[in-house]
Amino acid sequence: MFALYKKELQAFFFSPFAYVLSALFMLIFSFGFVTSIANLDSNTLKFSFPEFFYNNFFYFIFIIPLLTMRSFADERRGGTEVLLYSSPLSVTQIVLAKFLAITTVFLFMIVLSLFFPIYAACTGKVIWSSLICAYSGFFLWGLVCIALGMLLSSLTGNAIIAAILGEIVMEGLLFLDQFAATKLVETYPHLNSVVTWFSMQRRFIYFSQGMFRLEDLVFFLSAAALVLCWNIFSIEKRRWSHA
Amino acid sequence: MVEIKNLTKHYGRNIALRGISFEIRDHEILGFLGPNGAGKSTTMNIIAGYLPATSGTVTVNGFDITEQAADAKKCIGYLPEIPPVYPDMRVEEYLVFCAGIKGVKRADVRKQVESAMERLHITDMRRRLIRNLSKGYKQRVGFAQALLGDPKILILDEPTVGLDPAQVSEVRALIRDLGKDHSIIFSSHILAEVSAVCERVVIITKGEIRAVDTIENLERSMTANTLLNLTAEGEKDTVLRILKDIRGVKDIRDVTAADGKVSCKITLETENVRNEIMSSLMANGCNIAEMSMAKLDLEQVFLKVTANEKRSSLQDLLDETPDAPENPYDAE
Repeated sequence: MFALYKKELQAFFFSPFAYVLSALFMLIFSFGFVTSIANLDSNTLKFSFPEFFYNNFFYFIFIIPLLTMRSFADERRGGTEVLLYSSPLSVTQIVLAKFLAITTVFLFMIVLSLFFPIYAACTGKVIWSSLICAYSGFFLWGLVCIALGMLLSSLTGNAIIAAILGEIVMEGLLFLDQFAATKLVETYPHLNSVVTWFSMQRRFIYFSQGMFRLEDLVFFLSAAALVLCWNIFSIEKRRWSHA
Repeated sequence: MVEIKNLTKHYGRNIALRGISFEIRDHEILGFLGPNGAGKSTTMNIIAGYLPATSGTVTVNGFDITEQAADAKKCIGYLPEIPPVYPDMRVEEYLVFCAGIKGVKRADVRKQVESAMERLHITDMRRRLIRNLSKGYKQRVGFAQALLGDPKILILDEPTVGLDPAQVSEVRALIRDLGKDHSIIFSSHILAEVSAVCERVVIITKGEIRAVDTIENLERSMTANTLLNLTAEGEKDTVLRILKDIRGVKDIRDVTAADGKVSCKITLETENVRNEIMSSLMANGCNIAEMSMAKLDLEQVFLKVTANEKRSSLQDLLDETPDAPENPYDAE
């Protein structure tokens, strides 16, 4: 399994792929950062990273399908999935190795973005506990998105289609969050509680407010695990039915 | 070594395999012969554990391929029809990766990769990107991958396709050499290859096994009728009329006439009819320029067991469009 993890990481870092995506991520981050700083109220001079994450999540979330699009689609198109599925590795190990590799690249991007708070710390005061909390929420949300992106990549043999499907699903998730906050949903308490429970952005609010709730941690981790299981079943199903 | 029992495979409504059974013995090279769409690649994919079967079992070295997949797969080296290589990797890097996923111990990886590269003569290409290699070299890299992990069983799906004649003979020699300490099953469209390399053959058409035997036995069992090659002097019509009048002549084919000579292939009921042919032709003034007995070769055996009498040659049969795609992944 480690061999596959290493190969996946090499595929990202020995090609311009990871760097171009990281550059895109940093670009979005820096634009957002500069805009937020420029917007600061001259009386308080208070800049909140968690708030910044929350406001810019829309942009970050769209980078993840670009990370995951190739994971299974390329194997299928290039005929290399035969090598993986006929090796002693189980489908679970293959999915986990790929998931861990993409998560590592995602972590790499997050670590790069630490440049901004560190820079801010040099010139002002940063509340690190709140920042770590926001970063944790961002990371956990990212895990769910990575698992979803991988699932979509395993459904098609075309990486571009996988990426587009991923963007549609991410858009759908964001829509769900906004839909949960509408007056219409609020008039139906049962529907409201279900939609709100599934709304990831509302859970992220707690992280961004510096609250690390066990409930949210369990939600994000179990959602990621559930989607990964779905991914494993979907691959197994395709092997068995081959239709 | 490998036991295949009542294997069936359905692709939706299409039935690719209809309860096939055979075995691959220790240290034997088994040829797998059949036209396109016969189910060869499907069978190999199932034996290698890539696809599960709809029903039936495959036992590899005592391990069931679905129940004890990891143990069974460790005994197998598989070269699919299209070599499963990553174009963005370098040859050596790719082989080290393959050794890793096959569970080769870290201390042995280097040794095994070197030995596989040497066997396939790709040591000089170790630093090259696979995308820049020719088709023949990609095939060799795929073959080298199959040798990693020192598997006892090798499954080779048309290993010589796309190679130049020199490479084909090299690969054949390699298969013969590997056959000394491996059990090998390999499919091929080239009959000469199968008869040159294999001890036994399995002939499959439309998902059913038509014959499993040694090449000699197959040829012997099919030679109840004797084949005679004849070249006689005289008019075509005269010669054919004389031949048709002789009892015991079952069939006359491949008739050609040139320079006052007629050549043809005659199927006889018994060898004794030969003397009557000689005397009848001589009595009618048709001298015999050449006469020889022929055994049915593998091509004719193949045509016979697949019982497709409408087709004139094996090549027609092999060129036939498949009823159902062998691998729906490719058909997508």
